[in-house]
Amino acid sequence: MKRNSILILSLVVILAFAFSLSSYAQDDPIKIGAVNPLGDITGDQSTKAMELAVKEINDKGGLLGRPVELIVVDSEFKPEKGAAAIDKLATVDEVDFFVGGMSSGVHMAQIPSLKKYKKITIWAGAASYLAEEAIGPDADWYFHLHPWDYQQGESYGIGWSDIAEAREEVEIGKVFLAYEEGGFGTASFESYEVLADQAEEGEGPYADILSDFEGGSFKSAALGGGEYRALLRRAKEFNPDLFIWAGYGADAIPLLAQSREVGFEPPLYVGAPPGWPADFEANPLSDKVVLYGMWAPALKEVSEVAEHFWDEYIKMHQERPATYFAPLGYTNIMYLAKAIEDAGTLEKEVLIESLENTEYDSPMGTTLKIAPSNVIKHQGFTRQKILQYQDGKQNVIWPFEVATAEIEYPFSW
Amino acid sequence: MRKNLIILLLIVIALTLPLYTGVYILHIFSSILIFLALSLSWDMMLRTGQLSFGTAGFFGLGAYASVLIVVNMGFNPILSLLIGAIFSGFIAFILGFIVLRLREIYFAITTLALTHVFSVIIRNFSDFTGGASGKILASAIFEGDPVKIYYLVLIVAGLAIIISEVFKRSRIHYAINAIRNDETTAKSSGIDVFKYLLFVFVSTSALQGLVGAVYAHQYAFVNPESTFSLNFLLLPIAMALVGGIYSTNGPIIGALLLGLISEYLKLIMPYGHLIVYGLIIVFVVLFLPRGIYSTIHNKLLKSNIIGGDKNANTASK
Repeated sequence: MKRNSILILSLVVILAFAFSLSSYAQDDPIKIGAVNPLGDITGDQSTKAMELAVKEINDKGGLLGRPVELIVVDSEFKPEKGAAAIDKLATVDEVDFFVGGMSSGVHMAQIPSLKKYKKITIWAGAASYLAEEAIGPDADWYFHLHPWDYQQGESYGIGWSDIAEAREEVEIGKVFLAYEEGGFGTASFESYEVLADQAEEGEGPYADILSDFEGGSFKSAALGGGEYRALLRRAKEFNPDLFIWAGYGADAIPLLAQSREVGFEPPLYVGAPPGWPADFEANPLSDKVVLYGMWAPALKEVSEVAEHFWDEYIKMHQERPATYFAPLGYTNIMYLAKAIEDAGTLEKEVLIESLENTEYDSPMGTTLKIAPSNVIKHQGFTRQKILQYQDGKQNVIWPFEVATAEIEYPFSW
Repeated sequence: MRKNLIILLLIVIALTLPLYTGVYILHIFSSILIFLALSLSWDMMLRTGQLSFGTAGFFGLGAYASVLIVVNMGFNPILSLLIGAIFSGFIAFILGFIVLRLREIYFAITTLALTHVFSVIIRNFSDFTGGASGKILASAIFEGDPVKIYYLVLIVAGLAIIISEVFKRSRIHYAINAIRNDETTAKSSGIDVFKYLLFVFVSTSALQGLVGAVYAHQYAFVNPESTFSLNFLLLPIAMALVGGIYSTNGPIIGALLLGLISEYLKLIMPYGHLIVYGLIIVFVVLFLPRGIYSTIHNKLLKSNIIGGDKNANTASK
């Protein structure tokens, strides 16, 4: 009798313990670890957008009956800090997933750590093809959302071909690229050189439209430069149909002002900095300037998801999203959440398959789908957008399916 | 005796750290040791009276040399670290004949410009260096094993400390002190000023090159923007200033303090930690201009002297 009582009591204790463990597991949050440069507007707004996404998910009851927790670590734009952040998230916070990202330099330092943990990683930023090579073809746990640098160059070629086809008066024969002499500008120049070489051989996205290409470098105003007149005179002499400058936001206004001063008025004036000066659209010099980007506020006029994101972001943070990294950060979390819901489990293999098959209608104006790129198996977005400042507003002019206005052509002062 | 015990205790803690800490803490200490070695190397040059801003440049040169001979020529990674150091030292030796003719602000600005020149050269030899994009290694050194990497960085930091102490305890100390205090007097005392300056410039540059090579192999990549970042100049200077210049202990204290504070602040206040961090540096530099170590050391010395005088007075009564 006594022996039976002890047995029953032991069973009850074991069951109670097991039950408490299972209920703990149920309430235990799904942890998402994000690494972003919080001192920069891109990282700051991306993180805020991630917080919005997590809030929306939790308001609807979380994922698989569990709450979602976002743990953010600042990379400070420093490779060693970004790499240490991955170690912290993996070993101290024991996150289930890695998200975030901005700079390629920081990301390359993180790759050895990411490869060590092999947790499912959905990386929003980093565009350098070297980061793709460093990840390699075998990392089936790695998903990358931002287009790689070579995909960006290709997408502009496709865009201009489409625009030239739709609008007969638009010509893209001669292209001049003014690039800042640092890593960012030089990488742009090198990728354009490759595209121009391809076009010469009748291949690539510029094959039917590009006849002549030239480039010249300048010292960016962001790095102590700001004198562009000699280069602009060279560009004027070349007489391009499409003039592009690849520099920083600080170059935008002085470059335009000096272009007007030297009487340089190309039919297409394109700027490709990673970020534009605040309220640039309010500056009269901005009118008809074309820009490249993944997103524009105007997308809310043509996309319900973009409109929802725009409204909710402002409601939660009392500021406007000013960089495409904001909707990209939101997409980063929502895409993962959708895949988890579809998979119904956090089991790695099943979830990878679900991520491969999930399509997410994103606030970027396009649907996120996964496909292989040059090296990796799981690449998300592959195209940038062509936008234009028109009467103090950024409009999308290509891709046509999400366009909010037609291109205003030619550019004039 | 007490000083030796403290040093022994610190060595034991440093050697046994992987036994009781996780990967993250080990990573943080590896980073601190990297900056500690850079800070010491910068301070060693400063002891000659020359303010060098070339730390990031020689760090980058060592990193590039080491990675390129592994990627392009298939060298052994460990051997490549030494070659990174030798290459930086060799370039410093050649440039030393020109830049060491300069003094004060002219020397400082020229060494700063060197960093930019190195970076531009690397960008323009893109076939060999990877240009603006850089180069990647097939894998991090020791396959990314954090414990082995920690010990490697510890050896490099230990080497920096030993060199710094050799500089302090040998004839070099008197020579470079004399040069810093009054170059003309030093010359008239028979000190070969250029020889000593060149020796210190080459040694510290080689050390910076070695640190750069280790850093590049830890993260398995180099690119001009990250590898020649001014972060590898400004942070070591801040560490030496906070800890105290012209000593081995100062940069060590500064590196440990700023390294740990920076990480701790980041964890407790993800937004705004850099502002507090910056304010701490400004506060220390303003109110403890000799640095933490020198201030404490001087106070202790003063109180010992006063205490000694009191004892002497008591004894005489």
